[in-house]
Amino acid sequence: MIRRLETLVVVILCLFACRLMGEDALPKEASDDPVLKAMVTEMQRSKAQLKLDGVSVPYYIDYRITDTDAYLYQAAFGATTAELRNHMRYIRVVVRVGDYKQDSFYQNGQGLVEVAGVDDDEFALRHKLWLATDQAYKAAAEALTAKNAALKQLTIEYPIDDFAHAEPVLLVKPLVKLDPAASSWSKVLKEVSAFYRNDPQLESVDTDLSFTATNRYFVNSEGTVVRTGGSIYLLLAAASTQAGDGMRLDRSADFAVGDFKDLPTPAKFKQHAEEVMGALRQLRDAPVVEEEYRGPILFQGDAATHVVADLIGENVLGRKPALGQPLRTRGAFASSYLSRVLPDFLSVDDDPTISAWQGEQLLGNYEVDDDGVKATKVSLIDKGKLVGYDLGREPIRDFPASNGHGRAPYPMNPSGPNLGNLILRSSEPLSEDALKAKLMELCKQRDLAYCYVVKTTGPKNSPRLLYKVFVNDGHEQLVRGATFGDLDTRTMRNDIVAAGEKASIENLPTAIPHSIVSPSLLFDELEVKRVDQNKEKLPEYPAPQLGK
Amino acid sequence: MNKSLLPFFSGSALVICFLVTCTSAVSAADPKPKDILLTTMQQELQRATTELGKLTPAPYFLSYEVRDQSYAIAVGGDGVLLSSMRARRRAADVITHVGTPALDNSHENSRSSAIHSGALATDDDPDAIARELWRMTYQGYRNAAKAYLNVKTQTAVNAKEEDTSADFSQEKSQVHLDYKEPVSPPDQAKLESLARKYSGRFRNYPFIYSSAVVISCEAGQTHLVNSEGTRVVYPSQLVRLAIQAQTRADDGMDLVRVETFQADSIAKLPGEKEISARIDKMASDLKALRAATVAEPFDGPALLSGRAAAVFFHEVLGHRLEGQRQRGETEGRTFAKKIGEKVLPDFLTVSDDPTQRNLGATDLSGWYEYDDEGLPAQRVDLIQNGVLSNYLLARMPIAGFSHSNGHGRSQPGFIPVGRQGNLIVSSSRTVADSELRKQLLEEVKKKNKPYGLYFEDIEGGFTLTQSRAPQAFQILPVMVWKVYADGRPDELVRGVDIVGTPLTAMNGILMTGDTTAVFDGVCGAESGSVPVAAVAPAMLFSEIEVQKRGHMLNRPPILPPPDLPAAGRGQGGQQ
Repeated sequence: MIRRLETLVVVILCLFACRLMGEDALPKEASDDPVLKAMVTEMQRSKAQLKLDGVSVPYYIDYRITDTDAYLYQAAFGATTAELRNHMRYIRVVVRVGDYKQDSFYQNGQGLVEVAGVDDDEFALRHKLWLATDQAYKAAAEALTAKNAALKQLTIEYPIDDFAHAEPVLLVKPLVKLDPAASSWSKVLKEVSAFYRNDPQLESVDTDLSFTATNRYFVNSEGTVVRTGGSIYLLLAAASTQAGDGMRLDRSADFAVGDFKDLPTPAKFKQHAEEVMGALRQLRDAPVVEEEYRGPILFQGDAATHVVADLIGENVLGRKPALGQPLRTRGAFASSYLSRVLPDFLSVDDDPTISAWQGEQLLGNYEVDDDGVKATKVSLIDKGKLVGYDLGREPIRDFPASNGHGRAPYPMNPSGPNLGNLILRSSEPLSEDALKAKLMELCKQRDLAYCYVVKTTGPKNSPRLLYKVFVNDGHEQLVRGATFGDLDTRTMRNDIVAAGEKASIENLPTAIPHSIVSPSLLFDELEVKRVDQNKEKLPEYPAPQLGK
Repeated sequence: MNKSLLPFFSGSALVICFLVTCTSAVSAADPKPKDILLTTMQQELQRATTELGKLTPAPYFLSYEVRDQSYAIAVGGDGVLLSSMRARRRAADVITHVGTPALDNSHENSRSSAIHSGALATDDDPDAIARELWRMTYQGYRNAAKAYLNVKTQTAVNAKEEDTSADFSQEKSQVHLDYKEPVSPPDQAKLESLARKYSGRFRNYPFIYSSAVVISCEAGQTHLVNSEGTRVVYPSQLVRLAIQAQTRADDGMDLVRVETFQADSIAKLPGEKEISARIDKMASDLKALRAATVAEPFDGPALLSGRAAAVFFHEVLGHRLEGQRQRGETEGRTFAKKIGEKVLPDFLTVSDDPTQRNLGATDLSGWYEYDDEGLPAQRVDLIQNGVLSNYLLARMPIAGFSHSNGHGRSQPGFIPVGRQGNLIVSSSRTVADSELRKQLLEEVKKKNKPYGLYFEDIEGGFTLTQSRAPQAFQILPVMVWKVYADGRPDELVRGVDIVGTPLTAMNGILMTGDTTAVFDGVCGAESGSVPVAAVAPAMLFSEIEVQKRGHMLNRPPILPPPDLPAAGRGQGGQQ
């Protein structure tokens, strides 16, 4: 069994507004943990003594240690293909020279990564931190010179600080741990991957399990001391087949939760996987989309959350453009601040402070981000208008402070603005029935024999379960081989005409776990056309006969 | 292609990443183990041969090689565990030759079209294994068939190649079935404790900035079947202990010492006492190197220790005697067309003998029973009394050599090519090792130089063999001494590399010592990393060229290392 350690113990939570560093005594919570103790001790030493002739002393230092214990398992065709347990600890050190206005966070000055020991040995950790700090400081000194030289070649239209001021945070949460009994799920995965026995035409059935428990430690020279932990439990079943004409068809089913006890029962997982593979059988026999279609489409379930993730989520991150570039951010909303980006009945927030939505757990919940800044709810799009961005400690024009969204994908990466729980809401929600009725009404208005409902999509919003809904009797017909022609931010702004009331929740256990919440979305005009893709040949000879 | 021989990893960042499978305990209840993997491979190969044989173009050769490997790895640094992993995988390579042996899809630059790789189930589940092999086979066939059509067109369009040998040799089929129940690698806790213990010894030496101890055990079994009827199954085991320590001189030069030990079981590794002594020696070498002066470029007499000479021969000669380097327009072909000619001084003889398991008490890592094309390992006499007589050959023929000599080697996922196993250099002009130093001094005086160089130990090296690159090599020595003609004590220097061109360098060898040394390492080239050994006596060169090694100008750390708690010191070390 996997569990959070001592989740019932009252969480020690102190948010100090005072500046802690500079006081010689260690915060009490840190002194019981050899990792935090090593970090704080070495931080104090670096802060007090690190100085190279001819180079200014660092104005800011941070240490991030990421301790990940992972259990991975893969099965295909009813048998194990890979199994791995790996416990690793990474150190990342950032030293900044210069000042908040202009500093060394540039090229090699963006931090240094080392593999650290997994044993809680204070001396060995300090030794690694000592060397990493030294190298990071020297790299920072060189980076500042390089940055100043680069800036001399450029005209800066809007001078923006390099680093935001932030209040120190002290937060020490219980450690999370992976229980060895996690491996009990391997048997279930093997059984699910044996489903190919029921359908000889399935070309591949792969199941994957990835359970990780991550403890994050963060200490900076401003007095922040943070230890937080989180787990991700992911089950995945993916299958592929070829239709009679050679078209490749894929489906996958996954469960991603933050707590072991929230995983489905094995029976439920099997049932879900079976449904998905069953749908693959139906897809194989489904007709191919031949004619181009322009008209209303209803996006339901993960088809809606995917489109929100790709066309809104990617663009509300306040990422500072490259040196000297005048835009506010990168991405499609770089110059859309205070402009309309969605219809005025839709609003979008990012709220990492909540852990559930309509009773379902959200993976994008965290208390403190990877810059050691307290997470906050951010209003991103208000009544269709772009009013904010997710921000880390790297300011952008008009946004001088972090809002607690600085998150790092992997232990070796620097942090940057990223999503937590992205929530899209409608001020005029329609029930699913009303939404469907509206779809049919739009179709009738346009004299269309049928319109489309998409219930699930794959990578790049490619439809996996796309249905024609016939206007005369409302019956649905599954089709395959389609793609959406013009799905972009302009479509989102101009062509969404209604949204549902019940939200679909998609938990994304990616390198930065986050969640997307969105109701069904009705587009009044979108293109559906045949996918431009080669059809592979069917295998040259039949699959081997199965034994008993 | 750039080839390199390193006893260990290079660089300081250490990330070990395998996506592989944990070894599960094997039931010993069944007295007659059944080789389900072999049976399944044979059945599926038979089916593929029949079914694909009906197509045009049809494959004329198919083979499946499956390497079942169980690993246990523990990495320590500063007395703590950096990483610990236990894993198992079955790596499968499907080889497909379409066309005819005279001209097929593997011709010239499209060699890689002959291989399709993947992972098989680690459970002995015949259905899962067969299904995956089937998928890999038809996908491999598609690549091969497409490449074959291109090859045919290119051959018709291009001018005639210099070497018109066939693309694939005809060989006798082999049957060797030595199936053993898979063995689990040793107890993980034991490996972890060794990694902690040995790396902790460096805590006694604060001037050593970073250290790493990697202990890895690999227990494996190879299965190979092909459409010519070959069925070969054999187990393998390898334990490797690698120790690396690093410091930095005041001028910013990074200094690294590496020691490796290998054997076929943990019990056969040297004991704690010997390893601790080697660690202490690494530390004292590094301390001396920090204080050593940086050597100046030099061209003159030099003495290479046996280990240094062994690496020299591996890089400078061995790689250039690989069969595939004699054929193909992109290769430098240093030794092509030199059969029967004198290429070395006549007192030197060189062979490659993968059948030799050890030399005295030292295991030779280039030992193997069968190569990765299912052919038995063979001793090959490459150079006899200075005259070139053979090459290291896989199943790719070259002018005058139409058969493999059992040197087709690869790591999983790569197509086998001619590689070294145990390269052994012997000499008929020897003097006692103690006499070599005197001879060096005489040579120095004769050349009117103030000093000669003694290369005591090397880290590794690399060599360039492609035609568009200069035919040069670089050897990375680590312990180099100036030996003065005027009788001053020898002086340790740092920061030089041996450079040069092969034929010139090797013809300056004057004599050798009378004992041989072994360099066990891992060699990387186009067919991946394979374990190799090189064996040679110490050698006196009339002329060796060294150049200054470029290095970063990083200062040593600004702050002193953190204080070591008194209880944290290792046992018995010295500062």
